[in-house]
Amino acid sequence: MKRTIPLVIVFTCGFFMLTAFFIPVRFVQDMSQMLQNWYVGVAAFFVFIGIINLIKINLEKIQRKLRDWQYSFILLGFLFFMMFAGFVLRGHTAGPVFQYMFNYFYTPCSATMFSLLAFFVASASFRAFRAKTPEATLLLIAAVIVMIGRIPVGYSIWHGFPSLVEWIMTVPNTAANRGIIFGINLGLISMALRVLLGIERSYMGGGD
Amino acid sequence: MKILDKLAVLDRRIIYLLVGLAVIIPMLIPLGLPVDITRPVQNVYDKIESLTEGSIVLMSTDYDPGSEAELYPATEAIIEHCFRRNLKIYMMGLWPAGSALGERALDTLARVHGKRYGSDYVNVGYRPGGAVMLLSLGRNFRDVIRVDYTGRPIDSLELGRQVRSARDITLVMTLSAGDPGVIHWVQYFHARFGTPICAATTAIMAPRQYPYMNSGQLVGLLGGLKGAAEYETLVKRRGRGLTGMDSQSIVHVLLVLFIILGNVILINQKRKKSAPGAG
Repeated sequence: MKRTIPLVIVFTCGFFMLTAFFIPVRFVQDMSQMLQNWYVGVAAFFVFIGIINLIKINLEKIQRKLRDWQYSFILLGFLFFMMFAGFVLRGHTAGPVFQYMFNYFYTPCSATMFSLLAFFVASASFRAFRAKTPEATLLLIAAVIVMIGRIPVGYSIWHGFPSLVEWIMTVPNTAANRGIIFGINLGLISMALRVLLGIERSYMGGGD
Repeated sequence: MKILDKLAVLDRRIIYLLVGLAVIIPMLIPLGLPVDITRPVQNVYDKIESLTEGSIVLMSTDYDPGSEAELYPATEAIIEHCFRRNLKIYMMGLWPAGSALGERALDTLARVHGKRYGSDYVNVGYRPGGAVMLLSLGRNFRDVIRVDYTGRPIDSLELGRQVRSARDITLVMTLSAGDPGVIHWVQYFHARFGTPICAATTAIMAPRQYPYMNSGQLVGLLGGLKGAAEYETLVKRRGRGLTGMDSQSIVHVLLVLFIILGNVILINQKRKKSAPGAG
């Protein structure tokens, strides 16, 4: 019973939503819209689950004095302060305190973390981008052409560079990406049918 | 060659230092290299130019501060163009932090162009739910959006009252750094409701969008900082896109040199191994 009810709900709602796309009857469309609106409401709660999980993991780190537990202390401190600024202080998320924290703490720190990738890519380009096989050589040649063609220096060296890059993007890249998109979406359809028919039950947890 | 053997074990901190200098020096001494305009960016520009005054453009800021360096200049350039053409901007976001970044750009440029909140532009903020939310949104905006970014009822705003469904939106401009983002707008909003979509994405995502452009599902694309720089050139705005292109040019050249050097070292090592008496 415990496993049957969720399977029945998934099957009923899933196939209803699937067939509603093809049935232009007002009642069916309104029901479909209602289910979609319920989903949007539930999706908003995912944020709370994430926050609770984050607090739980970091509190445990502090309690057990695991490695780098001091950073958990700082993380939770800023988390609670930003929540306080967003919920309680004047203006809430549009207020001066929250906006200051967002613009001068969160945004620069987040951008900096992402920017570190540039250094790792540079190191990888020296150590790992090696033409060891014919395919790797072809990939490297295409990568070098695109990297030079996509910058003003490439245009200055040869005006035909951007056109060559556009051809690489429009022809071989598009062909390859189309194949990948088809593959991914066929896989998604297959997975969706498995979930709807109850063959795939991993979302219920706890094994079969 | 001994120098190649030494370079094979080069300390990575030297590589990091060279990249750091390649970024900083062009910012202090601008090169002012000319930026060529590519067809995907021109398509976005032409589409916005073709819109009549008063048309409503839905801008979706689907990125976070990690992608701010690439997408914020595009956000500013697009908003500038829309305000100059007297188009109305209805901003929202599929990512939580995107709305705050979009709000910053809107506020700054609205003051410059004398635009009024509520009649010329609104920001309704982050909306969770991804693809499913987009399906609900296109059919009836009120099912998803009741208040704006500051909590004001949407029906109390003139522009808020004008937008009821996808039919009221002339163009969707999504600035996207991942999932949910441009693919959802194309696959769900455009496919279901037919609204034209333009996109600005990070450079790493740009190649993935070409199939949608070739099939006509995407009108045009601003790819990475280069796309933003091209758009700034078209709208004649000296922003962070054009400023950043000098640094990006030097770093790209540096990366290509690293790749070539790495492969020269590989060839040298292979030659040593196959030389008689080696090993």
